[in-house]
Amino acid sequence: MQLSILLITLGLMGVAGWLILRAVWATEGPSAPKTINRTRSCFLWGMIAVGVVISVGSLREWPHTSAADDALIVNITSGQWWWETDTTEIPLGQQVEFRVTTEDVNHGLGIYDPDMNLVVQVQAMPTYTNKVVHTFDKAGQYQILCMELCGIAHHDMTYDFEVLEQN
Amino acid sequence: MSATDVHSAESGPNPQEALVKFTMLLGGVVFLLMMVFGLIMRVAQGDLISLDPEIFYLLLTAHGAGMVGSAALSGAAILWFFSARHLNLRSSIYIAFLGLFLAGVVLILGSIFIGGYGGAWTFLFPLPAMSGGLWEAWAGVMFCVGYLLIGVGFLLYYLELGLKIASRYNGLLGGLGWRYLFANNSTDVPPPTIVAASSVLVFNTIGIVFGAAVLAASIVNLLLPSFEVDPLLAKNAIYFFGHVFINATIYMAITAVYEILPDYTGRPWKSTKLFIGAWAAVVVFVQAVYFHHLLQDVNMPAWTMAVGQIVSYASGVPLIGVTVFSLAVYIKGSGLKWDLPISLLTLGVVGWGLGSIPAMVDGMVSVNKLMHNTQWVPGHFHTYLLLGEVAMAFGFAAWLVRDKAVTILSNLDRLVFRAYVFGGAGFVLIFLWSGASSIPRRWAVHYEQWQLQSQLASGFALIVVLATLVLVVRYVAGLARRSQ
Ligand code: HEM
Ligand SMILES: [Cu+2]
Repeated sequence: MQLSILLITLGLMGVAGWLILRAVWATEGPSAPKTINRTRSCFLWGMIAVGVVISVGSLREWPHTSAADDALIVNITSGQWWWETDTTEIPLGQQVEFRVTTEDVNHGLGIYDPDMNLVVQVQAMPTYTNKVVHTFDKAGQYQILCMELCGIAHHDMTYDFEVLEQN
Repeated sequence: MSATDVHSAESGPNPQEALVKFTMLLGGVVFLLMMVFGLIMRVAQGDLISLDPEIFYLLLTAHGAGMVGSAALSGAAILWFFSARHLNLRSSIYIAFLGLFLAGVVLILGSIFIGGYGGAWTFLFPLPAMSGGLWEAWAGVMFCVGYLLIGVGFLLYYLELGLKIASRYNGLLGGLGWRYLFANNSTDVPPPTIVAASSVLVFNTIGIVFGAAVLAASIVNLLLPSFEVDPLLAKNAIYFFGHVFINATIYMAITAVYEILPDYTGRPWKSTKLFIGAWAAVVVFVQAVYFHHLLQDVNMPAWTMAVGQIVSYASGVPLIGVTVFSLAVYIKGSGLKWDLPISLLTLGVVGWGLGSIPAMVDGMVSVNKLMHNTQWVPGHFHTYLLLGEVAMAFGFAAWLVRDKAVTILSNLDRLVFRAYVFGGAGFVLIFLWSGASSIPRRWAVHYEQWQLQSQLASGFALIVVLATLVLVVRYVAGLARRSQ
C-alpha cells in the first residue's frame, strides 16, 4: 500500500515538475498564447472536478471502520515508556477493536507487521480512549512502536504481540 | 502608481533596507547552523556517529524551533521590505519586533541547552510538565515564555502593517482587495504585496492568539500542576497555531517573487480578480486545514476529518492553479536572463508547489492512517521549506546585494544553485521514501534496516549544507562590497 502511495505521489510530482519547468525554461521562445486564461480556467475547474471525485470516492465509505458486534476488544494502556495489553495473542482474520489510552503524556500506537510495515495507527491521549478497528490478514510476530514524541526513551517504547492462525 | 506610493522601486532607496539586510544576515546564519544540527541528526539516524538520544531530542527541538523561527524572521523581513514600497512603515516598530524576537530566541535557546527542554517545537500537552525527569518545569516555562515574546513581537509587526494598510487602502477590506473582488470597485486596487500582507496579517494574528492561549495555559499548568488542560483542546490549539504560523512564513516570502520577478521579465505581477480571489481562499483554507493534523484523534468529530482532507486538497488549487501557473506564464517567453537571485526565487515557488503534493496525499484520512508521524511528514514540509521558503529567502538576500553590472549566472553561482537543488531534492525524496518504508519520525535511534536511507540522506544533506555555506559567505561578501 505504502509503495503505491509513494509511486503515485512521485508520479504526480514528476508530471507537475516537468510541466512547470518546460514553461519556465522557455524564456526565449514564444510567450504564452492569448488563450492562456481559458487554459487556466479549464485547469482550475479540472482540479476542482478531480478533487470532488477523489473526496467522494475516498470518504463515501468512512475510512475509520467501526467494529462489528463480534469484534474482539483489546484494551491498551501506555505510559512513559511502556505498553500494556489485555492479550498478546490475537487470532488471524478476527476483527479487533483496540481501545487505547495513556496514563501520562501523549503516545502513538503504531502497529507493525512482521515485515515492519505500519498497518494501522491511532493516537493515545491522556483522559481519552481512542478506538481503532483492524483485521489482521497475516500471521506472525507484530510490534507496537510509539509514533508520538513522549520523552527521552520514545524510540525504545516498543511491544510485541502475536497474530495466530486459528485451528 | 499614485503619489502616495511613497517608496516605489524607482523613487530612491528603501528606508527599511539596512534593517532588512541585517535581518537576512541573521536568518542566513541561523539557517546554516540549524542545517548543521539537521545533518547531525540524520547522520546519527544512520548510525554513522553515536549520539546520546538526549542530545538528539535537544537538537530536534532546536532545529524545529530555530528553522521555523528563521523562516518566520526572513519572511517577515521580506514582507516588511516590500510593504515599505507602498506604505510609510515606522522603523521603530520593526526594531521592537526584532528585539522581542531575539529576546524570545535567547529564552528558547536557554531552555533547550541549559534547561534541557527537548519536547519539540509543537509539543503536546502535558509533555512540558512531564519530561520523565529530563528537564525541570522552569525549562518548559522558559520555552513557552520565549514563544510568547516572539508572538508579541509579531502582533506588533502586524498591528503596524494593519494600521498603515487600513489608512492607505481605505480599511483592511480595501487592503485585501475585497472591495474590488466583491463590489467591483476598481479605484485604488491594492498591489499584490499589499493583498498578501493584509491576508497574512489576518490569519496569522488569529493563529498567534490561539498559540498564546495554549502557551499561557501550559505555563499555568507547569507552575500549578493542579490546573488541568484538556489535552485534545490543547492539541487543536497548538496545531492550529503551528500550521498557520509555518505557512505564514511562505505567504510572506512570496512577495519577493511578486516584486522582483517583474524587474526581470518586464511584466508586472497584477492584482487580478483571480489573484485576489485566490488570496481570499487562502485566508479561509490555511485556517480550516489544520484538522489534518488530528486525523488519528478519533474522538474528533468526523466532519473535522472530512474538512481536513478536503481543504488539504483545496489548498493546492490556489497554490498550483494560480501562483505556480502565473509564475510559469510570466516567465515563458519573457526573455528573462537567469542569475542567482531569480533562479532561487523561481525554485522557491516550484518547490513550494511540488511540496504541497505529498501534503495533499497525506491529508487523506485513509493515507494518513499509514503515513501520519512517519518521515513522510518531514518529507513534504522540507520540500516546501528547504526548496521553498528558504530558497526564496536566499534568493531575496542575493538580490539585495546583487551587482547590477553582472546579469548572468557566474560559474560559481551555477554550481551552488545546482548543488542546492540536487542535494535538497535527494534529501527530501529520501524522507518520502523513508516514510513509505514506515520509518517513524522523531526517533533518535533507527533500526538497522532503516539506516541505509539515513546514510544516503546525510550525503545529500551535506551537499545542501555546503551550498548554503557558499550562499551565506557570498551574501556577507556582497554586503561588504556594497558598503565600501
Ligand atoms: C540541510 C538541511 C536540513 C537537514 C539535514 C534537516 C534535517 C532534519 C532532520 C533529520 C529532522 C528530523 C527528522 C525526524 O523526525 O526523524 C528534521 C526535522 C525538521 N526540520 Fe529539518 N533539515 C534541514 C533543513 C530544514 C529547513 C530548511 C527547515 C525549515 C525552514 C527545517 C525544518 C524542520 C522542522 C520544522 C522539523 C521538525 C522538527 C520536529 O519534528 O519537531 N529543516 N530536519
Ligand atoms: Cu513516544
